[in-house]
Amino acid sequence: MSQRLSWFVSAVVMLAVSAPLEALNYEVGGCKTGSGYVNFTTISAAVAGVPAGSKIQVCPGVYPEQVTITQPLTLQGIASNNSNRAVIAINPTGGLATNVTSIIGQGLYAQVLVQNVTPPGPVNITGITVDGGGGNVGCSTSVGLVGIFYAVGTSGTINEVTTRNHRSSGCGNSIWAENTAGATQIIRIENSSVRNFDNWGITTLSNQNTSTLTATINGNFIDPASSALAVNASGMVGSISNNVITSAGVGIGSLAFAGPITVSGNTVADVVGGIGVEVTSGTTATSNKMSNMNNAFFFPDGGATVKSNTVMNTTYAFDLDCFVGSTISANIVNDSQFAFQYSRSQITGNSLHNVDTIQTGSCP
Amino acid sequence: MSRHLAWFFFAMVMLAVSAPLQALNYEVGGCKTGSGYVNFTTISAAVAGVPAGATIQICPGVYPEQVTITQPLTLKGIGFNNANRAMITINPNGSLAPNVTSSINGLPFYAQVLVQNINPAGPVSIIGITVDGSGDNAGCSAETLAGIFYASGTSGTVNEVTARNQVNGGCGWGIWVENGAASSQTITIENSSVHNQGNGGIGNFGIGSGGISAVSIVPPTLSAAIRGNFLSSTGGEAGLGVAGNDAILSETNGEISGNVITSNPQFATSIYACCDSVVVSGNTVANNTAGFGIEIYSGMTAQGNKLSNVGYSIVAHSDTATTIKSNTIKNTLCGLSFGGASSGTISGNTLNDSFYGFANWGGPPIGGNSLYNVDNVMSTTSDCP
Repeated sequence: MSQRLSWFVSAVVMLAVSAPLEALNYEVGGCKTGSGYVNFTTISAAVAGVPAGSKIQVCPGVYPEQVTITQPLTLQGIASNNSNRAVIAINPTGGLATNVTSIIGQGLYAQVLVQNVTPPGPVNITGITVDGGGGNVGCSTSVGLVGIFYAVGTSGTINEVTTRNHRSSGCGNSIWAENTAGATQIIRIENSSVRNFDNWGITTLSNQNTSTLTATINGNFIDPASSALAVNASGMVGSISNNVITSAGVGIGSLAFAGPITVSGNTVADVVGGIGVEVTSGTTATSNKMSNMNNAFFFPDGGATVKSNTVMNTTYAFDLDCFVGSTISANIVNDSQFAFQYSRSQITGNSLHNVDTIQTGSCP
Repeated sequence: MSRHLAWFFFAMVMLAVSAPLQALNYEVGGCKTGSGYVNFTTISAAVAGVPAGATIQICPGVYPEQVTITQPLTLKGIGFNNANRAMITINPNGSLAPNVTSSINGLPFYAQVLVQNINPAGPVSIIGITVDGSGDNAGCSAETLAGIFYASGTSGTVNEVTARNQVNGGCGWGIWVENGAASSQTITIENSSVHNQGNGGIGNFGIGSGGISAVSIVPPTLSAAIRGNFLSSTGGEAGLGVAGNDAILSETNGEISGNVITSNPQFATSIYACCDSVVVSGNTVANNTAGFGIEIYSGMTAQGNKLSNVGYSIVAHSDTATTIKSNTIKNTLCGLSFGGASSGTISGNTLNDSFYGFANWGGPPIGGNSLYNVDNVMSTTSDCP
């Protein structure tokens, strides 16, 4: 056989092998059928049955199942006819046993659990609704509910998702990603509607002194059921930007930060009686719009940079808790009872309007 | 006398006349005194007593008075010692009788700060002042309460103001500007905090209550820029179909941009922009459950707004074209409702978590938008129920 013919045969064989693979689409729910489609009736069967790295299209409908994803893939809600919502719901007959234990030791009932992903690779979830209604598993240090859980060592992107009704007697969480020692994990949580939860909305945890979780939390709408914590960013590094957070007990809680976080362009409103953003050492908070809350910025320690934010209608604009070392400049405060509380020195370089008392509280 | 000498004398006389004027500062409240300051004890006395065009500095404190401004000037709150709030309040011993009648709707208003009959012509600017309406509970049958009222024929800027507690039994507005005159006026309302108007009451005059209103005769003779304001709990609790009860009401031309509007009562409207070429852009509207986020009419544009937790997010009341593009809508009953229109620019919008995506559309299928988690892409009834 000539070299040319050999190449030709080789090419034909390659085509024959690869063509069917390229043509395969994976679908759940029965709205896309026919040649080229592999159909599944449950999301659980699909995430176990497709090749690694596949995209699974999920038809509109309700899927009362607990989904565990252990390989890289993309789960994507699609439209059919006049509908465009694929809902993962609590299985009313499936029991509510916890299926994962978090790094804080709490057992969680996760509706979508991403863990032990092999081979390594991202798990992406787009355009899916995760509804926690009927999932009250109670509330203790050992029991809680979560809509989407990315376990230790996993990575991926959550985009244009809806999570709702995660209420579990005060232990209902919407989206939770965490990591411990080991390789850094990268998580993006974007453009999602996160609402009606009673504990934490978006949670990004690392328990390492040098964070092992890099997170981007961007463009989400977050609105709890009660005075809950909208973003619990304990231990992550990365950015929290352009989110709209309303009706929370605390907007962005950054206790125990391990590394630098940029908090920018968020709108935080209606945190009545609560804190808008907790800014810890290494946090940079710029160009956020804060309104209608008790403390716009609370400083659990020193060393944060808070610049060019707009703060309106608050009790306290900046509550420094007597810590030093933070930079607070070029902010605009209008309509605040107190501009600075527990500040060790006079803070200048901000524009204040309609502030009843500029500095309040004395430090030991 | 030589010509040189004459010029010299003339210059000396000019200096002697103008120097004292240049050095004068006008102050209310007693925190700035001494040479170069003219002191007033009330804002009312100051606005009547200064030369046209003057800036009046208002010390922190409470001023229980009704202020009528009839000449161009700037009213500016200043900081002193540890305080920075100059607050105009209802005089507990004063009359609560209406002091102005709207030239647009003919209704009597009690205006806490009234700008009218400005002579000589020129802008009135109000900066860094709080206007608190607590204590006027005369009620809807007596009047509508307004924190700041710019009457017909006036112009100027309201910047970094706080307007609050204009409740008055459901007939209260934070800031009301209007022009019923033929000559055009320009008014800017920016960076202000406007909250607690109407307190959920139902206004019985059909105008209800709200945060900021800019209204004009038709065709419009008022250009209003309403930007960068924060409004919360501003509308009254309107029944569906009852006019008024809007966080921002604009029936004129201009722009409504970069405002943050939250906690508007259900059934109220966050931004109502009617009747001319208003551009509604870059606003954030949240927590207007069961109410309307943005209402627009024919030829108008709603662009780049963020709406969440709103009943009806963007509603076009028009069977002719509007432009609705690049808005982000989350958690809504009804995303975009088109008033039966069959054409327009409807593109680049992103909807997530919506029971109805589109409604009341008379044209071909709508493409070019991104929809996620939408129960019904197009309402099957004529409009969202």
